[in-house]
Amino acid sequence: MESGLLKKMLRDMLLARAFEERAAQEYAQGNIAGFLHLYPGEEAVGVGVLHAAEPADYVVSTYREHVHALVRGVPARMVMAELFGRKTGCSGGLGGSMHLFDRERRFMGGYAIVGETFPIAIGIGYAIAMRELPEAVICFFGDGAVNQGTFHESLNMAALWKLPVLFVCENNHYQIGTEIHRHSAVAEVYKRACGYRIPARRVNGMDVLAVHRATEEALAQIRAGNGPQFIECETYRFRGHSMADPGSYRPKVELQAYESTEDPVKIAIAETVTAYPTAEQIAAVGSDNIASLTGSLRSGGHFPPEHLDAMQAEIAAEVEAAVHFASESPEPTLADAQAALDCNRQGEVLV
Amino acid sequence: MAEQVFYWQALNRALDAEMAVDDSVVVLGEDVGLYGGSYRVTEGLHAKYGEWRLRDMPISEGSFTGLGVGAAMVGLRPVVEIMTINFALLALDAIINMAAKIPFMSGGQFSMPLVVRMPGGVAKQLAAQHSQRLEQTLMNVPGLRIAVPATPQDAYWQLRQAINSDEPIVLLEHELLYFSKGELDESRQAPPMHRAQVCRQGGDLTIVTYSRMCDLALQAATQLAETGIEAEVIDLRSLRPIDWDSCVVSLEKTHRLLIVEEDSGFSGAGAEIAAGLAERCFLIMDAPPRRVAGRELPIAYNAALEAASIPRVTDVVSAAQQLCNP
Amino acid sequence: MREPILMPSLSDTMETGHLIDWLKQPGDAVKKGEAIAEVETDKAVMDVEAFYDGYLAGPLAAADTDIPVGVVIGYIVDSLGAEKATEKQEKQEKQKVDKAPLAKAADVGIKAPPPAVQTSTEAPAQAAKAPASAKPMATDMTSSKHIPASPYARGLARELGIDLARLTAGPDGSIRSVQVVSAALGRVEPNLSDGPDYELHPLTPMQKAIANNMMAAATTPTFRVSARFPLAPLIALAHEEGYSLTLLLARACALTVEAHPRFNAVLTPQGLAQRQQVDVGIAVDVPNGLVTPVLRDVARRPVEELAGNWNTLKERATGKQHSQRLTPQDYRGATFYLSNLGMFSSVVHFDAVVPAGAVAILAVAAIQDGLVEFTLSCDHRVVYGADAARFMETLALLLGDPTGLDAAPTSGAA
Repeated sequence: MESGLLKKMLRDMLLARAFEERAAQEYAQGNIAGFLHLYPGEEAVGVGVLHAAEPADYVVSTYREHVHALVRGVPARMVMAELFGRKTGCSGGLGGSMHLFDRERRFMGGYAIVGETFPIAIGIGYAIAMRELPEAVICFFGDGAVNQGTFHESLNMAALWKLPVLFVCENNHYQIGTEIHRHSAVAEVYKRACGYRIPARRVNGMDVLAVHRATEEALAQIRAGNGPQFIECETYRFRGHSMADPGSYRPKVELQAYESTEDPVKIAIAETVTAYPTAEQIAAVGSDNIASLTGSLRSGGHFPPEHLDAMQAEIAAEVEAAVHFASESPEPTLADAQAALDCNRQGEVLV
Repeated sequence: MAEQVFYWQALNRALDAEMAVDDSVVVLGEDVGLYGGSYRVTEGLHAKYGEWRLRDMPISEGSFTGLGVGAAMVGLRPVVEIMTINFALLALDAIINMAAKIPFMSGGQFSMPLVVRMPGGVAKQLAAQHSQRLEQTLMNVPGLRIAVPATPQDAYWQLRQAINSDEPIVLLEHELLYFSKGELDESRQAPPMHRAQVCRQGGDLTIVTYSRMCDLALQAATQLAETGIEAEVIDLRSLRPIDWDSCVVSLEKTHRLLIVEEDSGFSGAGAEIAAGLAERCFLIMDAPPRRVAGRELPIAYNAALEAASIPRVTDVVSAAQQLCNP
Repeated sequence: MREPILMPSLSDTMETGHLIDWLKQPGDAVKKGEAIAEVETDKAVMDVEAFYDGYLAGPLAAADTDIPVGVVIGYIVDSLGAEKATEKQEKQEKQKVDKAPLAKAADVGIKAPPPAVQTSTEAPAQAAKAPASAKPMATDMTSSKHIPASPYARGLARELGIDLARLTAGPDGSIRSVQVVSAALGRVEPNLSDGPDYELHPLTPMQKAIANNMMAAATTPTFRVSARFPLAPLIALAHEEGYSLTLLLARACALTVEAHPRFNAVLTPQGLAQRQQVDVGIAVDVPNGLVTPVLRDVARRPVEELAGNWNTLKERATGKQHSQRLTPQDYRGATFYLSNLGMFSSVVHFDAVVPAGAVAILAVAAIQDGLVEFTLSCDHRVVYGADAARFMETLALLLGDPTGLDAAPTSGAA
């Protein structure tokens, strides 16, 4: 793993964490309203997957998509302005937290109906395949979405016509408040893809390197014309489903265990920063991960701790600037809303 | 050059014409490819344009309509055929939540050049699950347009216009119209897609209707003329938007409004038409607006019950007479 | 001054005119009587005349459009400054008027003043003040609110100054436009809810057309003059020559009209339209109705030719086959009408209604003691009592010695 990429991924993970925590704060202060679904805990998935993608690839996402948009390159100020419902947001303040769009960056939207990302993704994949372009579609969804009819319908079509779609399951083990064993007869999500003869694998979604590696391999297969691929990333969200959800259905020890031993940001830092772990760190990480962690440390880039501090300060300033930008931005008008609806009118005057 | 063609042929020619000039036009639906379409609308096109342009879909209405949405977002101009409107209930998420809303909630970044065609209406003894229209469900969706061609000429024009439009458009076709014949002149200049058409002039009352009920209304108007009542018949052609102006002009002349719709009346298309015109024409109305609509019953399999469940010519005639001679 | 220019009514059948073009531009000075626009009617291209001295002012109706009779097509103002000041206001009001529901009063058969005429700047204020200044009216208006009536009927009643409380509701218990219109014409709609059960027979198109025409004619101020003449000489001539008596009566009328050209003139808003040829409309009894085919140029053409025409018209009037029926061209445009009930021997006297667009109609009863009673109904706006008396004198002479009737008239006959 070359150190430049590692540093970039670390930066995105730190930005993701800082951005989401600030969003929660702004929500509490009333600057953001509605549903707000945050990403802390799952950063390794979005960052790992999207850093393996090309700019020409398309991304279709869910309602928990702020970080996907940020990693894709949508400026933090535009995402924050959208959360604030401002005209300068990436969807003009009309979409909000769950509907971030950025056509230029091929960020094809956040969708708030569980299971909608599948048909959108295969539709884009259909267009790519028909035109024989070297592009791919990355389709994000959660473990709750795999029981929706569109999952099965769309996987079937993707496999049938060998569409260039990478299905990425962000399996955080909960569909809102229902744990996966209580909502799925087959809890190993990746196995479901086998029913449609789609090559599938399961990776540790807390490990950004593992996610990145798996994505690279899958995209290579797709670009070779071998049809869709499927990656299940096992991960965990540290917060409730949304700001309105205290997450009280989860055992405290489960959350604490993930937070202390599996925090993807801590793992990424450990993998990136050139320092030997403290005895406490090693003890806290637990035996399972020690081998991989130390391995990464040895082969990892040279990133002194003071650089990490500088990076975090820079990110803090970026998030602060984003909030400032959002709060200073104008609200969209009704005319803006009408213009958005009419964006596909070809100058035709209706009665 | 005008010629007599079937309604399905007019649709077929519209598709052929658009597919020939624009290779981003693709047709997606069950049995639209090799089979040629369950109402022959895509007959011959699979051989001409190949499977990527005419794709036979698995029975997955929700996902293949959504596939059309995704494809439209990246520049294809998909024409999704849903075998009958009854299956479109499974595709409503794609139509309402995706197609109609993406242009808006993306802040105007994505247009939606998607056409969804669906045959509907009460045909011949297809029973409750295959005998409905659902236009009212779709009429209530900002961002969608709904065309209801009643003639081969309109079917040809409106399908071509729909394909050329960047808006999501639902074409509601009627199963009993596919094998009706009418004049088609491919070279004629089309009126705007949403413009209503006065099919018959008259000064005593205005019958506002659409789709197959136009024919019924015209038959009723002929009978009414024999009793001295001259009905003006307006084919709306479009249910969203509705061409209010044409209706208002007519009501300024007749002062009486009769709406004929095949679907159940309660909260139906006719309710919107009545409300819209009452708002615009209240002061010139000489009688309360009146609706002739289907019964508040699912459609029965039994032929006599089926026929009694939807408007008949005599229903229209007697409603018009009561309206004119209270 | 800001006087509206209306689309003129230039013929008896004209409902709309095609505004071909303006001959003047807004701001141009116009003189009373000067042509300011060209209008094509169903009959001809005619000039629209200015009725005032002043300047032409907008908003002008668009050229090359069809415009209903009575609608404002432009304005004449007495100074150019006034035109600019009021134009904007006028525009707003025009929009209101365009949307005003009551502009259509004419299509139910009455010639209510088109509301467009009231597009003076004060009109809305007046309308608002009216109920307050006339107290009894105000209370009527309040009480009429509780009377079930269609919005259109209510609007018409207000427009025509009719108190809804005085009207009898229709069979469904509410007042519709037809009751208001009837009241405006002084007619009372029968209350069908009183009395025995009934069966309703909707009017045929012909019956409806007749009813509409008669309603239109009801506003004509009419007077009648009767006279008795012996008809034996004419009957003898008819037998001798093999012509129908009605035809010869028409010929006699035409020659009389020629001698009294006022009986060939129609009142229009612009003045008397003096017809240049005598066409006679003749009432013909047909099942469930009445038609009035028009015989053209009755004074000038040979009787033999007229007889041929007349036979064809009669056949077509009573004909069953659609292709052979009379067309509108066959029964429009007459100024003078003849109605002969002489074949009903018990009819000693009757009079007829002057159709809209005509000046007079001659009713002919059956022979009684060797004499026949002729009754001439006349539009008093066009001809007067003594005119009618002189007409009858001339007719009496012709009928007393009908030998000249079938001869080709000399050019000096008039």
